[in-house]
Amino acid sequence: MRSGHRGAGVALGVLLLAVFALAAEPAWAQETARQYGDFPLIGSRAAIWVAAQLHLFFAAFVLGVPMFAVVAEAIGIFNKEERYDKLAKEFTRLLLVSYSATAIWGAVLVFGLVTLYPGVWSYLAEIFDVSMWVYVGIFFFESFTLYLYYYGWDHWKAGRAKWFHWGLGILLNVWGTLVMFIANSWLTYMMSPPAEVTPDTAPAMVQFWSAFANATWMPINIHRLIANVVFGGAIVGAYAAYRFLMARTDEERAHYDWMGYIGNLVAISALIVLPFAGYWLGREIYEFNQQMGITMMGGFMSWLWIVQAFLIGVLFLAGNYYLWVGMGRIPGAERFTPYTKYMLVVLVLGVMVWATPHTMIANRDEISAMGGQFHPFLGVLGVMSAKNTAVNLMILTTFLSFLLYRRANKEPVVGWARQGTVIQGAVFAIAALIVVFYGVYGYFVPAIVRIGFSVYQVLAVLGTIVAVIAIDIAMMRGATSRGAIRWGQMPARSQYALFILAVTFTWLMGLMGFARSGIRQHWHVFEVMRDTSQWAATPALGYASVVISACVLIFLGLVGFIFWVGGLAEKPIISSTGAGPGPGPQPVAGD
Amino acid sequence: MLMQNLKILLVVLGTLGLYTWVANAIPQIESEVPTELAFGADVAPEELVRAGEELYAGAGQCTSCHGLGTRAPNLLTDHEGEGTIGQRCGGRVPGEDCKTYLHRSMIEPAAYLVQGFGPIMPDQRINLSNNQIWALVAFLQDQGGQVTVTGADLASEAPSPAAAPAPAAPASTSLDPLELLRSNACLGCHLLGDEGVQLGPPLSGIGARVTADYIRESILDPAAGVSEGYESVQGLMPPIFGQSLTAAQLEAIVRFLAEQR
Repeated sequence: MRSGHRGAGVALGVLLLAVFALAAEPAWAQETARQYGDFPLIGSRAAIWVAAQLHLFFAAFVLGVPMFAVVAEAIGIFNKEERYDKLAKEFTRLLLVSYSATAIWGAVLVFGLVTLYPGVWSYLAEIFDVSMWVYVGIFFFESFTLYLYYYGWDHWKAGRAKWFHWGLGILLNVWGTLVMFIANSWLTYMMSPPAEVTPDTAPAMVQFWSAFANATWMPINIHRLIANVVFGGAIVGAYAAYRFLMARTDEERAHYDWMGYIGNLVAISALIVLPFAGYWLGREIYEFNQQMGITMMGGFMSWLWIVQAFLIGVLFLAGNYYLWVGMGRIPGAERFTPYTKYMLVVLVLGVMVWATPHTMIANRDEISAMGGQFHPFLGVLGVMSAKNTAVNLMILTTFLSFLLYRRANKEPVVGWARQGTVIQGAVFAIAALIVVFYGVYGYFVPAIVRIGFSVYQVLAVLGTIVAVIAIDIAMMRGATSRGAIRWGQMPARSQYALFILAVTFTWLMGLMGFARSGIRQHWHVFEVMRDTSQWAATPALGYASVVISACVLIFLGLVGFIFWVGGLAEKPIISSTGAGPGPGPQPVAGD
Repeated sequence: MLMQNLKILLVVLGTLGLYTWVANAIPQIESEVPTELAFGADVAPEELVRAGEELYAGAGQCTSCHGLGTRAPNLLTDHEGEGTIGQRCGGRVPGEDCKTYLHRSMIEPAAYLVQGFGPIMPDQRINLSNNQIWALVAFLQDQGGQVTVTGADLASEAPSPAAAPAPAAPASTSLDPLELLRSNACLGCHLLGDEGVQLGPPLSGIGARVTADYIRESILDPAAGVSEGYESVQGLMPPIFGQSLTAAQLEAIVRFLAEQR
């Protein structure tokens, strides 16, 4: 308890300092001609970059976790399964101990902006001052709602009080979402200021709502909402993996095995939806400014998407690997084992196609070496027709892994089980055919028609997920069990897959942050406020990767420390009275 | 426990190291900031060409689109059998020499759209200075043509896009709607019969689809609404025709288009 109060005090103290900075800075900035400060050794750009990225890592975690904590609590309430309630509480404990770190890095970012980029800060503060005060107010509400939610868990645990408690969880999400939406307006304004704002427009003349609800604001909001869930799930998975590897009892191991599974399920499920939000954001960027879109996809950042494809390939492979290894602890799963090698082949081929470069900037020598603008062989695979086909087949394959995992120990009892399985297989096959058909057809139509094909491919995959799950739920009603899942009987190597997932998600988030911010190039506010500092150039990906890796390392180190400290002061949620993952055989030690 | 922690640390560091290595193994392209160019009145063409070449491949980011053959016409190589840009620029617009054509293409990129390409090029005055734009013109002229940019051109600064005043007086007194549609570059984005480019809604049959009032409003205030299916080109049509056309010219165009059924 004491550590929680101390964390609360730190968070609020830091917040007050930041509020002071918010209030006092604009007038000060206007009185000075200094536009830029200097940061020793790494320079102002890297200093702000690290502060912003670390704030975003922690913020994404504390915004993502409440979403699935509330869902887990609801499952506990509706299904009357206490294990989900305890899981939700453990999620929230991680949230509580990370909260002050979020505020601290937020304050570091604000102070960094005030001291290193006073001109930019003054400009933004003059436009967004009201929203900054509202932000602070909502942050207070969010903090106190979190304290009530966590510390009131055991107090409001039954009857109508439990519903009140669950309502607090919902409210926590509402506050968190509002806070994020407000902050997103500031950064998206820098990317996509309204058309009427020019370099000659004084900040006082910028219409607040038009600046706030700018072209990329809502797409970023939605993309971040989903990405936060992905990120939260991945970090929770890594936490559970660590606790699993360090567990001293079978019961503890069983609990953290289950928790790791839930974290991975949350992360991968939300990841499948994330590309659609990404498409929307990309489209809005193109509509806002074609040149910005081209810079992002085909300009100096074009290689970034190859690195992204590589990372997402790792995510797909590690996520599926975790599931396949996990099937070893499920009685009956062995009948599906022969299929995993085929799924692996699809995934590997998919990654290879997706990571094939296409329209790269090349100099004359490189063009002549290739014999043309595109590589004679790879150029065929590097186009969107091939890439969209590859990624949709990878999503279908991953969904199939989940389905097999879900069905592994179940034996349907409904009379139409065989027909149901055949229909599910047919739905999969039809979806794969649609995806491949439009992928091939895309080579024979103009680009403007081809772009529309990706919608059909995506709809085929989403339709399959919905239809197959619906059939499965109906078919597995009352199903008998081939034996309970042996939670805890999981090889250690599976847990390292969870670490790789967490590191990769975190790195990917850093990479996408670089892409989003970097497409402004040498503009603080795109085509409105030019960056005239010595750090105005946007660095190449190699330098960016070093900064991103440093941020990820600092983040994971701090998270590890914070969770460890939090664990010292808390009563264990897993006790000898039994809060394991549920009924079934006693957990067995893993290897 | 120590070994377990070490293993975890190794997995984390190994994963980070792999990603950092991959990102460093690919070509490293930095987005440069265009540096200001200072030229004397007697600047040599070679000096301009050299500066333009650096901008073309670097901070000007021209190669993001030109040269891929998909987003914008090739400039350094042949396009549609017309030769390199220096060879073809003089014949693109009747009565307009190569230098004027290239310079206008930089500061009003939508003025002359090459058939088959969209209006995606930004006004270069947003990113580049007057000297930088002229250096690029010189470099492009040098691609198969003769460089005619001089120090006098550099001294004649084009107005910044933000400061560019609205057209003060109509350029033409004609009341012929077809001539007005052509001279105001309407057919650079709209298709009328076999003439024009279909970027925006076609003008053929427009009278059967919308009223004369709607046409008038769309000309005077293009942002007032957007035709279904053309959301992606919203904002391209300049809101200048209220100033650049006389009332009689506007009404002539409106009447003419309303009759296109």
